[in-house]
Amino acid sequence: MTARALIKQMTRYRWGYAFVAPWVLLYLAFGIYPLFLSFYLTFFNYNFINPADQAFVGLGNWVAGLGDPLFWHSMFNILYNQVIFIGLTLVIGLGIALLLQAITQFGRLFRTIYFIPTVVSIVVVMLIGNYLVAPGGPLQGYLLQLGLIGKPIFWKSELWLSMPVLALINTWKWFGIETVILLAGLLAIDPQLHEAAAIDGANAWQRFWKITVPMLNPQIFFILVMNGINGLQMFVEVYMNFDLYGGIYNQALTPVLYIYAQAFDKSNMGYASTLGLILAVMIAIITAAQFRFGQRDVE
Amino acid sequence: MSNTSVRRRRIRWGRVVAYVLLLLGAVVVIYPFFYILMNSFKPGPEILHNPTRLPSHWVTTGYRLIWSQLNLPRLFANSLFLAISITVLNVVLDGFAAYALAKIPFPGREPLFAIMLGTMMIPSILFLIPTYVFLYRLGWVPGFKALIIPGAVSVYSIFLLRQFIRQIPTELVEAARLDGASELGIFLRIILPMSRPALGTVAILTFMGSWNDFFGPLLYLNKPELWTVQLGLYQFQTTVPGENAEQIWAAIAVITAPLVLLFFLLQDQFMAAFANVRFK
Repeated sequence: MTARALIKQMTRYRWGYAFVAPWVLLYLAFGIYPLFLSFYLTFFNYNFINPADQAFVGLGNWVAGLGDPLFWHSMFNILYNQVIFIGLTLVIGLGIALLLQAITQFGRLFRTIYFIPTVVSIVVVMLIGNYLVAPGGPLQGYLLQLGLIGKPIFWKSELWLSMPVLALINTWKWFGIETVILLAGLLAIDPQLHEAAAIDGANAWQRFWKITVPMLNPQIFFILVMNGINGLQMFVEVYMNFDLYGGIYNQALTPVLYIYAQAFDKSNMGYASTLGLILAVMIAIITAAQFRFGQRDVE
Repeated sequence: MSNTSVRRRRIRWGRVVAYVLLLLGAVVVIYPFFYILMNSFKPGPEILHNPTRLPSHWVTTGYRLIWSQLNLPRLFANSLFLAISITVLNVVLDGFAAYALAKIPFPGREPLFAIMLGTMMIPSILFLIPTYVFLYRLGWVPGFKALIIPGAVSVYSIFLLRQFIRQIPTELVEAARLDGASELGIFLRIILPMSRPALGTVAILTFMGSWNDFFGPLLYLNKPELWTVQLGLYQFQTTVPGENAEQIWAAIAVITAPLVLLFFLLQDQFMAAFANVRFK
């Protein structure tokens, strides 16, 4: 295309530029510029209290961040939490989707009910969850009565229990979405596939693993990717229930909580920026791995 | 003959089990809401000692206490102002951008879209600190501007809308162009009405995201006059067991009810909004 033709095209479709302009301008200001600022800050010690004290530290923040045992502890914590959370929601979500597919009446009512926690804010969910699972709360009361636990459990000061309990509360909030997504996937599977397999002698268990699960691959893939991107950035849940360093063993310290603590407790903006970049790279790697291994059959 | 009746009966039993399990699940979901409401009408000591029993007598102490301790009209006004501004801006600006990306073949469109797809995958944590530093230097912190202006567009919503608008026949747009309609006219008269379901999805997700957001207001609205309902509610979170027992349940009930009500009114749109959210 000649320069003249190009200009003609641009003039002809000038409205296109006008329409994308607000987005592009806002994105340059609040997306691209902060990205560069973030990278720039990683080379400095910068704090709000004395901005003039800004000191160049070279790769100091990077070296400190990559070798910070608390940061890697927080990475471990969030992965521990996410493995439990994803496992629970997938099993419960798929189980309920299968049950909903099997019934003929009230399906809509059930779906509506299961979806309610999704619209409730995480602050509310954590406040309720906190009371329900507290030592002396109703859930532990039932478990004591049934003899499943011997004495009340102070889960917020237990090394290995804090993250699973948070995962359990989050499961209550989010399984409804996964049910809706998985049910949509189930309903899209051609019933003839199941009939043909049944005629060939496959039992329900075999049909589940050989037909249902592979056909749900796009939905499961979507759920894994969304959880990978959002779940790894958990903050409110731990901020509300623990101190800024995630409890006495740092057992509930998540990467974002640690970044928040560095930025607003220690006033270490440069270091917090560096940790943010490292975390973003980790999330990108995990997402890329999911795309590499998970997207075989996605359209 | 007998074979089919056995099979039929077995299927029915399977259904009964399915209904029982689903009902059990429904109880697990609803019980906490029931717990909130029940405790919000209890006298203080009973909340602590009999949290799972119905109130011996129904009182409204909790509701009266939050009314006097929280500036509820202010909290609601702030939350509504934030959520509505962000939602309206997103529907309009994202709609514009999506229409241009889907139907106006301006030079440079494809690279722009490719860049957009690339940035969609960047985790938002990356922007947390630098954006805060930037907005702080601009003098926007604390203030609503710091949440509204950067939140006025969403790459994700543009992507969602573009996928929808692409399905509108291009001939329709071309015909209108030949008739001399302006691009703005085409957008308002053809695209907007035809993409109502997708715009509804964006509106619901944006509104809910803003109404339920805690982290954003925590960073940028750290001043009691600017608090949203979520920050107001957070004031009752405490490490002392039993403190605020009366207020907390009433506050949760008051703050959760509007959104749950909205959900019941628009439940199909809500569920479609979440089910539609899918990679291409």
